[in-house]
This record gives sequence, structure tokens and C-alpha cells, in this order.
Amino acid sequence: MTRGLRVIVGLLAGVFLAVTVFLVPGPALSAEPIIIGVPTSLGFLEGKESYNAVMLAVDEINKAGGVQVGKTKRPFKVVALDIRDAAPGVPVPDALLGIEKLILGKKPHALVVGPFRSEALLAGMDLLAKHKVPLLGTIAMTPKSDAMVAKDPKYKYVFRVCLNAKYFVGYLVGTMKFIQKKFGFNKVFIMHQDVAWARITAKIMTGIYGKLGWKVVGTASFPTGSSKFESALLKAKMKGAQVILPIFDMPQSGILVKQWRAMRVPALMAGFISPLAGSAAWTIFDKKIGGAINAIFELGNIPSAKYPPAAAFYQAYQKKYGKEVQAGHGPAPSYASVYLLKAAIEKAGSVQADAIVAALEKVETAAVMGKAKFSKGHQVVYGADPGKQALGCVFQWTNDGKRVIVFPPSVAEGQITLPAWMKK
Amino acid sequence: MFEATLIYGLVNSVILALVALGFNLTFGISGVANFAYGAFYVTAGFLTWSGLNQLGLPFGVAAALAVLITALMGALMYRYLLLRLRGLVVSEVIATFGVGLALLELFRYLGFIGFEYTLPVMIDASVDIAGVVVDAQRILIVVVGASLAALLWVFTRHTRTGRAFRAIAQDEHTALTLGINTDRVATISVAFGAGYGAIAAVVILPLGTISVGEGYNVLVNALAVCIVGGLGSTVGVIVASLLIGYAQMITATYVDTHWMMIVSLVAILIILLIKPSGLFGQQKELEERI
Repeated sequence: MTRGLRVIVGLLAGVFLAVTVFLVPGPALSAEPIIIGVPTSLGFLEGKESYNAVMLAVDEINKAGGVQVGKTKRPFKVVALDIRDAAPGVPVPDALLGIEKLILGKKPHALVVGPFRSEALLAGMDLLAKHKVPLLGTIAMTPKSDAMVAKDPKYKYVFRVCLNAKYFVGYLVGTMKFIQKKFGFNKVFIMHQDVAWARITAKIMTGIYGKLGWKVVGTASFPTGSSKFESALLKAKMKGAQVILPIFDMPQSGILVKQWRAMRVPALMAGFISPLAGSAAWTIFDKKIGGAINAIFELGNIPSAKYPPAAAFYQAYQKKYGKEVQAGHGPAPSYASVYLLKAAIEKAGSVQADAIVAALEKVETAAVMGKAKFSKGHQVVYGADPGKQALGCVFQWTNDGKRVIVFPPSVAEGQITLPAWMKK
Repeated sequence: MFEATLIYGLVNSVILALVALGFNLTFGISGVANFAYGAFYVTAGFLTWSGLNQLGLPFGVAAALAVLITALMGALMYRYLLLRLRGLVVSEVIATFGVGLALLELFRYLGFIGFEYTLPVMIDASVDIAGVVVDAQRILIVVVGASLAALLWVFTRHTRTGRAFRAIAQDEHTALTLGINTDRVATISVAFGAGYGAIAAVVILPLGTISVGEGYNVLVNALAVCIVGGLGSTVGVIVASLLIGYAQMITATYVDTHWMMIVSLVAILIILLIKPSGLFGQQKELEERI
């Protein structure tokens, strides 16, 4: 290569570099990233898929140029940590240590998803206040955290985008009224996992059933990890229960429906069993779950033809990961959380925690699970119309393996039917 | 309700007996308390699941392979780990517990967590017994449990290896003088125990899910049955299974489902206070009498 040629090649390389660095759009990729921490139980379905949903939203946002912070466009960067709080026997302090390790080590600007167990969320609220890191929680469900946020401003960093136990009860009550009206049933047996959110839900439901004219004929609680439900099912049958209300989020709970079917317990199974939420449950449980009625905590975790953003998220997830969302709780609000965080940062023009919190309090946007707006206790408000509030729903497994949304009426696609062995 | 408690209590008892037979067999013959037993049980479950779902094998083939592989794992554990520690009881317990822990946590590390790990029932039907609906899988468990107990009895009395089992169970040194290769027989007994655990897994797990936690539960249940019945006694295993199985069922049905899980632990405490060698145990009976 002659000297002249070398000069020309050098000049061309210089021009190319200058063009790439200064002229090509996409400054977000070179700007300092905004760190999103995801401390949750990554080994569990809800945690795994919520993390996937966060990554989906982050990829979309980064691809579109990033987040406008003042005059700069900055990308999101995700750091995740498995805090294992959903696993039986993992103490709350261990989960909190994980969260603190993430906060101190990676210095996230905000956290999303967060703990599974309400016990861990409640205990972790002081930690978030101490380090001033906003959390947009999407799994833990106790309504106690809303009350704490509303009461004490130091907890203002805690937001929840998913459904809480109070709203879940609202959907259950609606479904029970529907069942009572259609079939004349009024005897219920409650089976629940022995964890905070499920205990609270069962307690609230017991009170409400009385007011609705139902009789609670029995209650059975099961420690996390149990898989023997025969005795409780026998009790339900003996006491003449017409409806069994299950409230479970452990992997073993799916087997309850198989046992219910095998024992032909003449009671409608209607409540929440997390393994039953996804489309794959049909094959996983040997096609033996037809007739079971199950809640989906947030729209988007199930597609709805009546609310296109939910279906769009469901399809985008399937396209990116090659499989459908299987968790009934977590992924949709986790995806929405990233967009809510983006909106708040852009509104605040800053990544300072207090500015983000102030902006989040005012955010009002159409999310994948319906309209998202935070209450005074920093809880996204859930209701019956996705145009006005965020939405959860209840569906029934048909005998040919389809999930048909039966409640609320705004998104219902069909009516509740009795399982074959209950039909006279 | 009484009939239902009776029938489901029996099924529960047979499940406990099935789970404990393998543990008891290994201890009775080789003297090794195999604390990796629960992990072998779960391993058999995951192997069957993998054969079925990842390799596309028919259930029978996947289950048979899982039982064989698990038994082989038991043999290898004895041959390459426990043989060096023979006679050092505490070391044996630590070693087997370590193997179990490593196996179970390996499954957790590899991502074997979730509700998708279930096995299909072998017969999809339900029958009515005295007005109580029972599914065919539970009836199959009772049949398999009874068959395995009978098979063990026949094997230990009418086969050369079985008689060698009994010989070293009675007195290892005398067995040696009679030309019995005690190391080989002990290896086979650990393999047999692991294989029994694997068969239990293949027939019981279709009623539940395969999870790492199940390994710890199975170990606790097997220990409870063996301690109550008397370590090394097959009759003891059967009687203790019936006692604990019915106690669990009655507790869950008439008291609270929540207390069901502690029944086996309470049973251990009671028997250790009243008769530490267990109902039919001979290991420490002489010491107790003195």
C-alpha cells in the first residue's frame, strides 16, 4: 500500500468514525443507562415470566431510542437477582438481604416486580425507604402495603401495579354473585394456602359470603408445599359444599383440581390456583381440568379480543419468547411497570427517586391490563372496565381445553357451566 | 365420611409404606441409613418426566429406565463413597445426606422448579367403593405396595441373593466366614433400596407434582415410619405406616389439614420417648432392656 493510499484509507476511516459517533441517531445507546433492578423469585414461573416481560418492554423502549431525560435520551438496563422468597422455607431476612445487595451493588434507579411474598414486601418497605429506591411491585398482593403508604409518607417509594388482595376479592365476589344467581348455590368450602395474601383473602371472603347469603361450610389451610388435598375435598363433599373456593399460588396446587375431578366432588371449583392460569395447564394436567374456574389477576396475561392492548402484549411476548404467557399474575403489570417508569422519568425530566415518585403519583395511561392510575396508597386501581381502570378477569376451562373469560361482563366471552358429574 | 377416611387412610398408609420400604431394606441389610433416599425418589421422578417429555419415550419405558438408573446410582454411591466409610456411622450419615443435598440442589439449579413437572396417571378411571369415589391410580398404589412387600418377602427367603441379604443382616462376620461377599451384597441392597424408592416415585408422583421439596418430605416420612416401626423391620414398616397413615388422615379430616404435616414428627418424638428401638426394632433392644 502506497503512502498516499494509506492517507486516503485513514481519512475515510476517520470520516466513518465521525459519522457513526456524531451524526447517526441513537445517542441513547452511548448515554449512561437507567438501571432497573428486578429482585424477585426468578426460579418461579411468575418471576421468570415477569422478568421476560420487563426485558420485552426494555428492548422495545431501547429500540425506539430510549427514555427522554431532560435533553438526553438514555437506555434502560436491567439487573436481576433471584431472592427465592417464593420457595418454601426461605426466611424473609434472606430475601431482604438479596434486595439490599442489589440496591447497594448495582445502584438501580428503580426496582420492578419485587418480592413474591407479602411478608417480604412489608418487611422490605423500610429498606426501600432507607435507600430511597422506588419499587413498582407486580407480585406481592397484601393490601396492607397500600395502607402503610397512605398513612406514612416515608413509604412513598412503594408502588404496586398488579392486583391486590382487596381487588381480587372484588372479582371473586362478582363471580360468586353470578354463580348464586345462575345455579342457586349458597354453600361454599374455602381451601387456601397458609401465606399472608391467601389468608387475608380467605378471611375477607368469609366475611363477605355471610353478607351475600352464602354459608361457609368449612375452611382448610395448607402449608406451602402441600400436595395432599383428599381429606379437605372429602370434608367439602361431606358438608354439602356446592362451591369450593381455592386460593393458592404454589406449584403443587394444580394437583388439587386433578384430585377434585378424580374424586368427582360435586362442587364447582372457582377461585385462584396459579398453575391453572396458563394455556399449557391443559396438557400439563392431563386434560383433566375442564370445568375449573380460575382468576387471571391482570388482563394481558390472557388475551382478550375486547381489549386490544392486552392481546397485543400477549402476542408480542409469544413472538419474542416462542411461547405464550403462562402465569396469571405478574407478566402484564411487569411489562406495564417499565412503561409507567418511562412515563414518570420523562415527566420528571430526572432519574432522582423523589422526582420519579412525584411523577408516578400523577401518571395516568392506557396500559396492557387497562387504564393505569395510582391510588393514594400507590396501588393501581382495578375495576370492571378496561377503558376506565385496570382489569383482572375470571375464566373457565372448557372440556376441550379452551379458556373462556366469564367475568367481568365487559370482557366476558361465555357463561359458566357445571362440570359433567354435577349435571343432573 | 367414616368409609372415606378408612379407604383414603389405607391409601395414605400404603403410600408411606412404599416410601419407607426401600430405606428400611438398605438399613436392615447394609446398616447404612441412606439419607440420599429422598433425592433418589425425586431423581426417579425427574428422570421419568424427562424420558416422557424430552425423549418422547412411552411411560412404561421411561419409568423402567428411571428405576434402573436410580438403582445404579445407589450402587455407585455405595461402591465409590460409602465403602470407604463403612462402619463410621456418623460419616455415612453425613456422606449420604451430602449426596442427597447435592442432587436436590442440582435439580433446583438446573431449573427443575414449577408445576409443569407432573407425571400422568397410569389408568384414567374412578371406581365407587362403598359410596366413596376412588381413582384407579390410588388403587394401583395399593396393589403395587402389597406386591412389593410380598416380593421382598419372597426374595429374601427364596433366592440366593435374598438369603445373603438376611445373612449379613443377622451377622456380617458370620456371613463372611460362610463365603458371602458382604461388600457386594451391601452394594446390591443399596441399589435395591434406591430402586424401591424409584418404583414408589413412579406410582405415587402422578398424584402430585415432582418438586425438590418432595425429596425432603419423603426422607422425613421414610425416617418417621422406620423409626416408629423399628429400623430394619419390614413388619415394623407396615404397622408404622398404618399407624401414621391413619393418624395423618384422621388429623386432616377431623382436626385440621394444617396439622397433618407434623403427625409423622410427633410420632417420632413419642416413640423415642416410649420405646427408642421402635415397635418392632431389634437394633437397640438389648441396651434398652439393660
